[in-house]
Amino acid sequence: MLINIDGKMCKGHAGETLMEVANRNNIDIPSLCYKKGFEGLGRCRLCLVEVKEGKRKKIVSACVYPIKDGIEVITSTDEIIKMRKDIILLLLLRSPENDYIKELAEEYGVKSPKKYKDQKNDDCILCGLCVEACEKLGTNAISFVYRGITKKVSTPFDDPSKDCIGCGSCAEVCPTNAIKLREINGTRTIWNRSFDLIQCTVCGNYYTTAESLKYVEEKLDYEEDHICERCKRKAMGSKFKESFQNIY
Amino acid sequence: MSLEIINSYPKEKRYTLAILQDIQREHGYIPKEYMEYTSEYLNLPLSDVYSIATFYKSLSLKPKGKYVIKVCNGTACHIRDSISILKELQDILGIESGETTEDGLFSLEIVNCIGACALAPVMLINNKYYGAMTKEKVKTVIEDLQGVSANV
Repeated sequence: MLINIDGKMCKGHAGETLMEVANRNNIDIPSLCYKKGFEGLGRCRLCLVEVKEGKRKKIVSACVYPIKDGIEVITSTDEIIKMRKDIILLLLLRSPENDYIKELAEEYGVKSPKKYKDQKNDDCILCGLCVEACEKLGTNAISFVYRGITKKVSTPFDDPSKDCIGCGSCAEVCPTNAIKLREINGTRTIWNRSFDLIQCTVCGNYYTTAESLKYVEEKLDYEEDHICERCKRKAMGSKFKESFQNIY
Repeated sequence: MSLEIINSYPKEKRYTLAILQDIQREHGYIPKEYMEYTSEYLNLPLSDVYSIATFYKSLSLKPKGKYVIKVCNGTACHIRDSISILKELQDILGIESGETTEDGLFSLEIVNCIGACALAPVMLINNKYYGAMTKEKVKTVIEDLQGVSANV
């Protein structure tokens, strides 16, 4: 399948979304809730683009739009920029103190009108990436709760969840850094629960929780050495170097 | 715990809401233990069941009063000034909508339409309809119910 994105011919296959094809071809489409490795959620709606199919044109969300052969895509028109600005204004009213949203608003020249003061200040934009991440891991500790203006992401009953392993994936994928993860003296606190951290046997840095380690070991049925990602990469690198030294 | 209601359902995800509705009907709310049992029974994460239980307005996580008062605020009732009926109830009972009185007698809720627009403004107390409400009528109804409970 061949599609035209901003004048560039891009290859793609059936079932792929516009966002995936654009990403592979280094074409930037702004978005908050899209993350590589996740299916498009279509929640933040910042990835609006114009699609021309024959004589018809329409505006779609790139992260959930499956490509069709021969379509022409324009990622930025006056109309789209105006729509994006409206969306950013709404996000800014929801999260006026959030650095990521503030940066985005500045980039697009969006200012919040004075008449909308006294808005609540919530860093979370309810994109649901954290819920998705937790589900993908199979831990399912958090979900959307309540609805409408009271909707939020939380553990059941706001209690410390017994399903949570403190891996921090939710905080990792959050586009607005809304999930609070604190690490003090070898203890990680997230979603009202505290976890003891494990030290890397090589560098001595705290790198994961005991619960995450146990979860991975049970899944893989394999006991791992307690080594952090950085030290693992280092060891792998020197191994590589050694084996090449023997060749030359 | 009477778990027969839950056990009578096949163990499939799609029965979650039906089970929760049954628990709500039986207990007037959804106790935590029942939610936990439902999640175990259906092999669903507790977070999923909790998400559903908090999403629907007809499911409650807190125990409801003996009399659940639903004030209709659908279009027809709203135009007929259902808000003043609600205010009167709030004044008499001393609670906001969504709350329950301390003696556990009354719960107050606002609902969107109960399909009795001809009787607007209308309120519903434990499945009994009270139509063409006025502030005075509200007072009598509540006093009657308080009287009934005091005599028991």
